[in-house]
Amino acid sequence: MATFLIRRLIQMVIVLLASAIVSYALLYLAPGGPTTGLRQIQQGGRNSITAEDIARIKARFELDLFLPYRFTRWLAGFPSGPITIGGQTFFADTPAGCAIPGQVRLRYPDGTSEIIEEGCEEYVTFADLADRRTSRGIIFGDFGNSQVILRDRPISVLIESRLPYTLQLMGAALFISILIGVPLGIYSAVRQYSRFDYVMTTVSFVGSSLPTFVIGIICILIFAIAAKEAGLPYLPPGSAVALSDYTVPWIGTVESESTLDRLLHFIMPCGVLVFVNIAGYSRFIRSGMLEVLRLDYVRTARSKGLRERTVVLKHALRNAILPFITLLAGVFAELFGGAAITEAIFNWPGLGRLLVDSIERTDYTVAMSLTMVSIFLLLLGYLITDILYSVLDPRIRLS
Amino acid sequence: MKKQHILRRAAILFVAAVVAPMIAACGGSAATEPQVIRETVVVKETSAPIVETVVVKEEVEVAKDTSFTTPHPILGDVKVRQAIAHCVNRPELIKSVYPFLTDEQQQGLLMDTFLPKSHWAANNTSIVSYPFDPEKGMALLKEAGWEEGFNADGLPLFLKFTTTNAAFRQTWATVLEQQLKDNCGIAISRTHAPGSWWFGDTTGLSRRDFELGAFAWVGQTDPGGISLYACNQIPLPSNNWEGQNYMGWCNETASKAIIAANNTLDKAERVKQYAIVQEEFTKDMVSLPLFNRLEAAAANKNLKNFKPNPTEYYTWNVEEWELAGKDTVVLAFTQEPASLYTLVESAAVATTAAGLLSARGVTSLDYDYQAVGMTKLPSIGDGATNEDVEVKAGDMVWTTSGEAVALAEGVEVTNAAGETVVWDGSSALTMKKLTVSFEMKPGMKWQDGIPVSKADYELGYKVSCDPESGATTFTFCDSVATFTQESDTKQTLVFHPGVQWPTFYTGGFGASPAHQVIESDGPYKGKKLAEVPAKDWPTLPEVAEKPLSTGPYKIVSWEKGQKMVFEANENYYGNAPKIKNLVIQFYEDTNAAVAALLTGNVDVVGTETLGAGAEVETVVKAAEEGKLQVQTLASPTWEHIDFNLFIK
Repeated sequence: MATFLIRRLIQMVIVLLASAIVSYALLYLAPGGPTTGLRQIQQGGRNSITAEDIARIKARFELDLFLPYRFTRWLAGFPSGPITIGGQTFFADTPAGCAIPGQVRLRYPDGTSEIIEEGCEEYVTFADLADRRTSRGIIFGDFGNSQVILRDRPISVLIESRLPYTLQLMGAALFISILIGVPLGIYSAVRQYSRFDYVMTTVSFVGSSLPTFVIGIICILIFAIAAKEAGLPYLPPGSAVALSDYTVPWIGTVESESTLDRLLHFIMPCGVLVFVNIAGYSRFIRSGMLEVLRLDYVRTARSKGLRERTVVLKHALRNAILPFITLLAGVFAELFGGAAITEAIFNWPGLGRLLVDSIERTDYTVAMSLTMVSIFLLLLGYLITDILYSVLDPRIRLS
Repeated sequence: MKKQHILRRAAILFVAAVVAPMIAACGGSAATEPQVIRETVVVKETSAPIVETVVVKEEVEVAKDTSFTTPHPILGDVKVRQAIAHCVNRPELIKSVYPFLTDEQQQGLLMDTFLPKSHWAANNTSIVSYPFDPEKGMALLKEAGWEEGFNADGLPLFLKFTTTNAAFRQTWATVLEQQLKDNCGIAISRTHAPGSWWFGDTTGLSRRDFELGAFAWVGQTDPGGISLYACNQIPLPSNNWEGQNYMGWCNETASKAIIAANNTLDKAERVKQYAIVQEEFTKDMVSLPLFNRLEAAAANKNLKNFKPNPTEYYTWNVEEWELAGKDTVVLAFTQEPASLYTLVESAAVATTAAGLLSARGVTSLDYDYQAVGMTKLPSIGDGATNEDVEVKAGDMVWTTSGEAVALAEGVEVTNAAGETVVWDGSSALTMKKLTVSFEMKPGMKWQDGIPVSKADYELGYKVSCDPESGATTFTFCDSVATFTQESDTKQTLVFHPGVQWPTFYTGGFGASPAHQVIESDGPYKGKKLAEVPAKDWPTLPEVAEKPLSTGPYKIVSWEKGQKMVFEANENYYGNAPKIKNLVIQFYEDTNAAVAALLTGNVDVVGTETLGAGAEVETVVKAAEEGKLQVQTLASPTWEHIDFNLFIK
């Protein structure tokens, strides 16, 4: 077990590092960032942008550093200046980036000429890095600063403001859907082709084929708008809390930001997620159970005269649930990542919306931080699943 | 063994037979290729700029640059451009994107030149206008030698049309394509590229990679325009694509006039010069103005004094707003401000929110300026002077390219007579020196009741002009020779000789609360704001999130991703706001914001949030049913089609 854990942890670090490199490189290639649009400003007036202005902005957001240094500074806060060993300074003049790119004019024999960027006019050296602010690095929990969304301020502030809402929504939705979805799937499998099974499969078919934005909008139409117009109790269409007190028929006046207010806002987004999740989970459990229920050892258990309840829950379920555990490996990542579409429809201030926003507005440091945390949680989920396997299935030994 | 031997030999032979000639061919062709001369360009000008920054090797005779000098075979002819202008039915284009507007409203969006009709510098009399007239268009084409879609050389009348993939551009461009084809037999092939390509730093427009190119400029109270229409602002490979005159339009009269218009402080003279530019601009038809985009702002029908304006934020008169029976007004934003520190963040949402927290010096309604917090707008002879001064070597002067440098031989400046001169190092040179004083109305206080003082303005100037402050541009700072805060209300700016900002009267530097004690955790806790270095201001919550207000409202809380809560500032020196609380609620998209407006959860959806998409139609219809109030405005942003006069 110990060797397995150590091996898995080493693997985890490698996978994490590899995915960090790949996603960082991808976002490095993507267009946009803090200098976007500067060239579209009409030049010549009081707000003219010079090459030095652009160089200064790039320096502020580290965009002038060479990719490997940018990456290591982001990852581990290194290098943060020249390296000093025993009072001696090394690499002080080594270039770490290019502040102002060099230009070369190419004159062609046909008379045309062209200026291309080549080489570097002014380098950023390791010594220059000492004067810059340096994050401690994402592996030490410092996400660095946002480039666009919360210009120049810590990403941790952004995440802290969104995380409670995402945990609340995703946590509750996952808990309720497992609580309902699993028994539903089992019951449906045991009573295959019963009326209940038909209804269940139809509903879950609908649930898993309709995208959340369709279900979400239908729910808003029915429970928020139509219900309100009909004078029935209704649910607020979006946001996490109301801005001012409001009156709901049968319930009375709901005070803004009270627990009741939060609960009413919570029901619809949570309900939609639960509905979709249940559909998926129950279908999964049902098919797993159906497969197992047909097997010999289940028949043997029955013929031994065991109670049907014991047969189903102890003999069949324990075997059928293994694939379902794999499905749950992604739960942590999902808890953190939120549900971007559902959050968008219900204006829920969660992390999923933040990720979408950060990509749309090309705030790549924020997008990178969220991606890294998600990858880490996903890997953690897999590790826990592997351990759970051995607990649930005696045939699997971790070594 | 033997078999291996043969295989190896075969491999060697293969290399010799196939690869070697390939290498030889490459090397050979490179050797015979004519020599390309490489020169290093001086990028950074540290002292006086050397006008010719390229060191040309003497022994080589350098031919004249010929890129973008060949006139476009079709668009190079002014008659064809005029024909296109006559063949386009612009009212129909407007109708295709804004069908819900009345004919009169649609007519109000039509543009004939680069300034909207209501602009103070618009020339509505002596310009050439191009009403929809296909017959005239056809006649002009015929004159230019184009018949039945071909010219005498058999060249087809076919043009490439490039713009972004924005939905509304696709709509009107479809109509345009049809119009040109049906009315005048001009075929165009449309490319709707992503904005990131079309407006990219090294792609699309900035490389003049188009024949007909459509995009928008944002018009301003001050028309500017040098970088758009002057001869020396044509982006070329030989000048590293500097400038924004993408058409390649060089008309001496217009070029001189646009420079002159931006080199004088005399408004009448400016109107005259801009009139000349517009006349030439329309005569040459180098760029076909189409229409002002539509902008709309919608509000609760009970909200009184809601007066959005095309050139001012709709919250400019927020203290006059009244909402019967409610003490809170809710604004919807679809984008959360990144910071309330307007020095580093200038997005419309940030400026609108930050605007609630500051006492305005001026407003810029209807393409003009009005004094609000200032006692008056200074003018030459009344608060400002513009004297002729003699400058000598070593004096700091403002160059024609907009930089402050020590005067030396070879520096190009504008002299007192308004002529561009390159100083020879010895002759006498007189330049204009501008001095402006701003007088604020007395009684302005911070929200904590402490009066705004001399020290606050001094701190404001120091931080705004600190190169580490995180600001995007320092051009205005660089143009100031001396800053003097003479009293708590009076500020005097002396500019470097040669600086002639046409809008010098709009204000100086703002104040920052020097006395504010930092309460947030961190290295500056307990210190005063004045002690914090400028580079750390953007990260300070006291600056970025909860700045002290001098305006009608003060900020109470900002819940990220959800809302910002404001309440009336009891220490505001102006009239107290009539609505006690104000909330900015963030929505994921315009649709959600408009839905909230219709259900009454939101009271105002402003121009920056409503945009010009399908939601405008929704609110216009709701307004017709009496559910809302909606103001449609001709936005300062205007669509046009540029003609590229040259080919690569």
